[in-house]
Amino acid sequence: MFCSLKAGDKGKIIDISHVNHLVQRRLLDLGITEGSEVCVKCIMPFGGPVMIESCGQCIALRRKEAVQIEVEKL
Amino acid sequence: MEIALIGNPNTGKTSLFNNLTGSYEYVGNWSGVTVEKKVGVFKNNIGKLIDLPGVYTLNPLSKDEGVVTSFFLHDSFDRLLNILDASQLERNLHLTLQLLEFDKPVLIGLNMIDVANKRGIQIDAAKLSEILGVPVAPVVARSGKGCDKLVDIIGTKSMQPARKNLVYYGEEVEEAILALSNEIKGETGHSRRFLAIQYFEGNEYVKKYLHQMASSEKLTAILTNLEVSVQQRYNVKTLANFIYLKRKETIDKMLAEVVSKNGEVVPLTEKIDRIVTNKYLGVPIFLLFMYLMFELTFDWLGTRVSDALDAFFSGPLTSWLEAALTVVHASAFIHALIINGLVAGVGGVLVFVPQIFILFFFISLLEDSGYMARVALVMDRIMESVGLNGKAFIPMIIGFGCNVPGIMAARTIETPRERLLTILLTPLMSCSARLPVYALFVGAFFATHKAIIVLSMYVLGVVVALILAKVFSSTLLKSETSLFVIELPPYRLPQFQSLWRSTWDKGKGFVRKAGTFIFGGSVFIWLLSYAGPAGLNVNMNHSFLAGVGSILAPLLAPLGFGTWQAAASLITGFLAKESIISSMNIIYFAKNDAGLQGLLSHYYTPLAAYSFMVFILLYIPCLATTATIYKETGSKKWTVFAVVYALAIAYCLSFVIYQGGKLFGFV
Repeated sequence: MFCSLKAGDKGKIIDISHVNHLVQRRLLDLGITEGSEVCVKCIMPFGGPVMIESCGQCIALRRKEAVQIEVEKL
Repeated sequence: MEIALIGNPNTGKTSLFNNLTGSYEYVGNWSGVTVEKKVGVFKNNIGKLIDLPGVYTLNPLSKDEGVVTSFFLHDSFDRLLNILDASQLERNLHLTLQLLEFDKPVLIGLNMIDVANKRGIQIDAAKLSEILGVPVAPVVARSGKGCDKLVDIIGTKSMQPARKNLVYYGEEVEEAILALSNEIKGETGHSRRFLAIQYFEGNEYVKKYLHQMASSEKLTAILTNLEVSVQQRYNVKTLANFIYLKRKETIDKMLAEVVSKNGEVVPLTEKIDRIVTNKYLGVPIFLLFMYLMFELTFDWLGTRVSDALDAFFSGPLTSWLEAALTVVHASAFIHALIINGLVAGVGGVLVFVPQIFILFFFISLLEDSGYMARVALVMDRIMESVGLNGKAFIPMIIGFGCNVPGIMAARTIETPRERLLTILLTPLMSCSARLPVYALFVGAFFATHKAIIVLSMYVLGVVVALILAKVFSSTLLKSETSLFVIELPPYRLPQFQSLWRSTWDKGKGFVRKAGTFIFGGSVFIWLLSYAGPAGLNVNMNHSFLAGVGSILAPLLAPLGFGTWQAAASLITGFLAKESIISSMNIIYFAKNDAGLQGLLSHYYTPLAAYSFMVFILLYIPCLATTATIYKETGSKKWTVFAVVYALAIAYCLSFVIYQGGKLFGFV
């Protein structure tokens, strides 16, 4: 689960299918899908968005969507 | 020759557009700053360049992206100029593959080679060109390096479509493409392969287009059959995902030949991000930046320049004009029209040009540096709690400059509900045209706390917008879906030239308005104040203007400014907010803003002045904004709603402030 990652941790996405399909599509546009390696850069306070890095680009998404992404810690 | 410029967001499309066309275009750095179709003429006149909004794929999610797909389906153009970000080649090539399927001549501009090199990525452009079968020209769009060569290639090479299918989508898909192509044979001038693949990917625009020309049952049958067979044989979730993976396979093969990597370095961007998007410091840093912006605009720099300009208009300029009018023996009527009508009206507004340009400069700086996307990130939690998302904050900040581009910037918000909500609330952002009114009143009543009082107006606008967002999203516009995925582009050192262009581009509208709207309005207002039922050159209290104003004045009395002068100037404020100042200068017979400030203290108490400022902040979107709301929502109902709710809120709030203030003994 994504929530087990802390800022600075790296992970590999295993399953993204539980996420809202719009979010899924947008992540796919940005090249983030199953098998992508991500690094958590920053987690905003009070349940705010998370900032992740994948293949040299930074992306922010909401916490509630991020926790639905199945991640394997690296 | 018409050439369409297309690429992912944040690839430097707009910078390239400016370099190639030499026009004054708007340059920004947050996702999708190009919200309108813009056309420029190439510097060497070889044709027209059309700037399209940034998209990741031709299968659209937001209305902004839909613009591009509609353009491909319904407009004609000769060539495509595809700009790629060399540091994000993999992602960018997904779009390129779709463009090549469209079968129009394509030319590729490989941008940000310098950024890629810094990250240790080397790209063999010649090899890339060979594999794709189209010309590839390396460029640095920000500095203009390589642009000449790009123009040469556009002008000379014939650029025949490559006509080779780069991606093989597998037996089943290829068969379905043929089947679908047969159904629409002779019906369309576009590449049928392109249409079929987009249709299989679930592109709604293409679906609508195809269903117009062929039986929708047959097409749907092809699609469902294909979906079933692909899912069974390859064990993938959706057909769209399968198509994506096929493209990715091709791209990975391509990249293996074209790209070589060596050691990575931590970019400066990450170091800055550790501070500005820091857990706890993010919001305070943003507020501090806004505070500095207002201090500079009002106290430290802007006001001094404005005061000097004001002194010039009322002193030397007026005496020169008076001398000139005497020399040509102008009639008393012309004399009064020019000195009391035009110099007072137009001059009173032009005085604020320095302050407005400083404000626009900072907004351009925010956009151009890449900080804007971080603001969206930092603000998302607050926006989410009122039923909006962080992206809605960007139109609001742009709205500080002018509400019209702010409302247009709302197009990048993917969900229709959040977009409508943002459009309705952006007019509450205090635009630069309201600024002259504040500047005038704080100068007269709150000279010691100028910046803080003006800042309170901006904050009030934002707070009211947030509260209303909560109210509207839990009553009128209920819905669950909300989407927030935002790309954070790397920081870029803003270049002075592009900053200046973008500041001037925004600010010139204000100057132009002073020359047209305000000019005409000033003459009109002056005439209304000069003429009355008794004839010309009447005492102003018996003029037509006083007559109209006094009808409304009693309504405004509970707010603290129940004079016909205030009512009359508020009516003109609907045309343009800054014309409130012009009208007041004319009505109060003031030669300059300094004189007007002195006079105002006879008519307003400080509390009434604050109440008046709040009323002006909220009371009505100006004419141009109302027209934009109508254009963007396409709904008379919502346009009327935007005007009516603003009036109601302004009246209530001013009432509470004035009456409440009186209770607590303020005057």
